[in-house]
Amino acid sequence: MGEPSRYAIIGSGSAGFGAARTIRERDPEARISLVTISSLPFYNRYDLPKLFLGVEDWRDLLAVPTEVFDMLDIQLRRASRVVEVDGRNLTIQFAHNEVMGFDRLLVCSGGGGYLPAALSDYRHLLHDFGSFEQAVVTRKAVPKGGTVIMLGGDMIGLDLAFTLVDTGHKVILVTNDHTFWPHQIAPEERGELLDALTATGIEIIDGRRPTAIEDIGGRLPRRMVFSDGTTASGNVIMAFCGQQPSVEFLLSAGIDIERGILVNTQLQSSNDAIWAAGDVCQIWSDAGKGYKFYHGWKNVRIMGEIAARNMTGAEEAFDDPDPLAIRVEDGRIWSSFWEH
Amino acid sequence: MHGTDLQIAICGSAGDGTIAAGDILKRTMALMGYKVIAFDLYPAEIRGFGKCIARVRVSSEQAYSLKHHSDVLVSLHDGHAIPHVGEVRDFGAVIFDDAPIARVAEGGHMSAHVRPAQIPYGASLRAISEQASGNARGRNIAALGYLAGLYDIPPEAFQQTIMRKFAGKPEAVTEANMQAFDAGYDVGAGVFKLDDVTMEPPSYQAEGARAVMMTGNGATVRGLLDAGIECFFGYPITPATSIMERLAQEMPLRGARLLQTEDEISAIAATIGAGYAGARAATATSGPGLALMAEMLGLGVMAEVPSVIVVSQRGGPSTGMPTKTEQSDLNMAVFGASGDAQRIVLAPTNVEGCYRCAGKAFELAERHQTPVIVLLDLYLSNRYETVIPPKTNPFAPKPFEGPSVGGGPFRRFAETPTNVSPRALPGQAGGVHTITGLEHNELGRPSDLPEMHAAMSRKRHEKLIAATEHPGLTVAKRFGDEGPVPVGILGWGSTFGEILEAMFAAQAEGLPCTAMKVVMLSPLPLEHIEAFFADCTHVLVPELNYEGQFAQLICGATGKPVTRLTRATGTPMQVEDILSEVRRLAATGQPSEGETDERGLEASLS
Ligand SMILES: Cc1cc2nc3c(=O)[nH]c(=O)nc-3n(C[C@H](O)[C@H](O)[C@H](O)COP(=O)(O)OP(=O)(O)OC[C@H]3O[C@@H](n4cnc5c(N)ncnc54)[C@H](O)[C@@H]3O)c2cc1C
Repeated sequence: MGEPSRYAIIGSGSAGFGAARTIRERDPEARISLVTISSLPFYNRYDLPKLFLGVEDWRDLLAVPTEVFDMLDIQLRRASRVVEVDGRNLTIQFAHNEVMGFDRLLVCSGGGGYLPAALSDYRHLLHDFGSFEQAVVTRKAVPKGGTVIMLGGDMIGLDLAFTLVDTGHKVILVTNDHTFWPHQIAPEERGELLDALTATGIEIIDGRRPTAIEDIGGRLPRRMVFSDGTTASGNVIMAFCGQQPSVEFLLSAGIDIERGILVNTQLQSSNDAIWAAGDVCQIWSDAGKGYKFYHGWKNVRIMGEIAARNMTGAEEAFDDPDPLAIRVEDGRIWSSFWEH
Repeated sequence: MHGTDLQIAICGSAGDGTIAAGDILKRTMALMGYKVIAFDLYPAEIRGFGKCIARVRVSSEQAYSLKHHSDVLVSLHDGHAIPHVGEVRDFGAVIFDDAPIARVAEGGHMSAHVRPAQIPYGASLRAISEQASGNARGRNIAALGYLAGLYDIPPEAFQQTIMRKFAGKPEAVTEANMQAFDAGYDVGAGVFKLDDVTMEPPSYQAEGARAVMMTGNGATVRGLLDAGIECFFGYPITPATSIMERLAQEMPLRGARLLQTEDEISAIAATIGAGYAGARAATATSGPGLALMAEMLGLGVMAEVPSVIVVSQRGGPSTGMPTKTEQSDLNMAVFGASGDAQRIVLAPTNVEGCYRCAGKAFELAERHQTPVIVLLDLYLSNRYETVIPPKTNPFAPKPFEGPSVGGGPFRRFAETPTNVSPRALPGQAGGVHTITGLEHNELGRPSDLPEMHAAMSRKRHEKLIAATEHPGLTVAKRFGDEGPVPVGILGWGSTFGEILEAMFAAQAEGLPCTAMKVVMLSPLPLEHIEAFFADCTHVLVPELNYEGQFAQLICGATGKPVTRLTRATGTPMQVEDILSEVRRLAATGQPSEGETDERGLEASLS
């Protein structure tokens, strides 16, 4: 019997964890390392709006109990940022000055919130909601009945917006091209969707271009300034303008990257030893004759599992799933993106 | 336990400043008004080798031992700290350097080992120190700052302790450490706390202001000094050395004398000589030193000379494990010497007890004219506890000694109703007598007559019996449930802290339980022990040696069976080990195999 294979997975989200569990099922001897920058084990990020419903402890958001990692003999390496991948020597370099070897690597590093370039100077004045820690900070900054200004309003943001309105907060939505991301909305559908948002109690600012964000102190300390000179003030301003794949540590990995990691239908990158899954990858679509992102929780999880099976000998393709659907039902917006 | 109950372990390599950081931490916590128990483990070698761990338990209410699980582990050296990750409880914290300067071997970084239910905190400790003070040596202090910031502990108390700690050093050293602390504090305060470790503000009690941090050795020194020690003779040996070091600083200031002799034999010989001359005299050593002292100890018994011998046990036999704890010199302390050489042996169970036993040892030695051994161990010698010093000196002054002036030669070894004979100091008028190591008659003249040896042997034994009723000295004490109980835990020495914690835990589970500490190991306070046995269906005896030396002593004295729980690992007893044995005994009456020593555990004399 040879040495057990070393599987490294960068990213312990839905794609990464699902892949690790699948590898363990298929290769009982494998050495599996699941690497993440986060200090927490895998939790459901789509549950973060629950912080406004009274959930305070991250343990209430865990996707799987912490014992699962031991039971499956998966090494969970948290607080570990990968700064470089060497695709030739098959190594990962950590920020903490350690190099880890692998036989097969799966990149599931997801994406970070995208911010339009025009506002990049004001990043420090924005609140985030991408992690438990950020969500707690944001929740603390929004008092009871407080006001949240949301730029963009992708489906992640809108889910939060509904919770905020339901819990007595005021939400001002400043629309842009990313509103309803990842759905692609035809111009004729847009009005109905915006009306539905208004009916829910969300205040819409449509067709105005933000040019600056200011810290003005006082009761509503954040102010958004628009190109027409008007302003809107709130307790916090958050941008929800879709996701930008986290690939910066892969620049010298010797794999093809466009916006995300380019992979074939079997989720293998241009390096035979490296696969990718989840929000970080663009998958070849035979039908569309191009590389596409497939967002949505279910897609991400399935990608992780398929990649894991292919890394352990299978040859499965990720078939074009049904496109994400969005519509107005009983006056409220329904989206398949929110199905878990 | 209500309020704060938090244990922090700091682990590094010798030279990383681990023990210094632990020292600052425990002093700060005591200064703030918390109860503190702390124990350091360090290698026998000096800087550059080996693992050091400082463990500090901080609580609102009195705790009696370190906890099995730490709440926080701070790693100053991942190579040494990684094996200790398992001691951190679930949802506790592991703090480590996330920007080490040297390349880390694959798998050698702490992040690879933190358990899924623990919270990892990576902090650039080296860089924080370097940026703040221009020097990476303050990494340990930066780690303390980080800890204080993370848990929202007011920095002022730390700053005060740091100032004191580096008081004798150039100002730049203090400043660099303060800068490293402050920078670490700022980083820690900015970190999102994810663990569930909490600290409540200390509740100051009236006595809090007088509380001081002391080690067992420190308290022993204070006891010897308060009792008016006049002469000390010693030879350095771990873990007793600090007793001589501290006394060397203090005794000259009081007009007392200390001499470092060429070896342990000289040390005890000089101690007995000084005792014979009427001085309050003591020596301090460890197991290997006591082995060398055995012959002279016999002389002290035979010549009936008051003297005090402090013995701090370490892992043995022979050179053994100088920096590891053990309770395996009980047999030697109680029996070690040629012939029937009974002596008094006191084994304190906590730091405050070290103070009392050390001071009372002189009274006992003088009243019963015999060597008295004060038996500590490394865990007690080196562990810190917060203690409240007594307002008035509790020790009796040296009694006036003088021969009863009557007709005829001075009968130094005369039979008396108490079996204690009149004593004369050299040069005292009317007190001329002979003194040797030979068996003797009442005048001290050599005699090997059968009836003389029988009478003198009886006298030397029986004069000690009254020691169990010495005023102001706790020779044994019972805790917990009164009246009949299924399980009683009988203990001695440093292990008694773990015993008490296990007893409280058993009670909290609804198991009736009692525990008794035996402080006087020779002569045994049999009345107390027998009353304890009468109430307990099972008596469990946990101790840190392989054979169960105390269990044997107790079985021999009472003829009753006990269940032994022995550990010879060089580390303190675990509360959980005692507790699981209590549970098992309470449930089945059967000791577990493997949990106790392997020779079948019911040490019945039948
Ligand atoms: C508040 C909120 C609500 C959401 N709601 C929904 C929803 O309702 N439906 C839905 O479909 N999606 C939702 N999403 C999006 C969903 O969470 C993502 O699509 C999904 O998590 C992507 O999974 P992933 O495994 O690809 O990557 P992620 O879950 O983003 O995980 C990325 C992982 O990679 C790690 N990583 C990144 N870079 C590095 C590096 N350099 N070194 C080491 N590790 C690295 C990260 O630490 C992380 O563990 C929501 C997201 C948020 C924040």
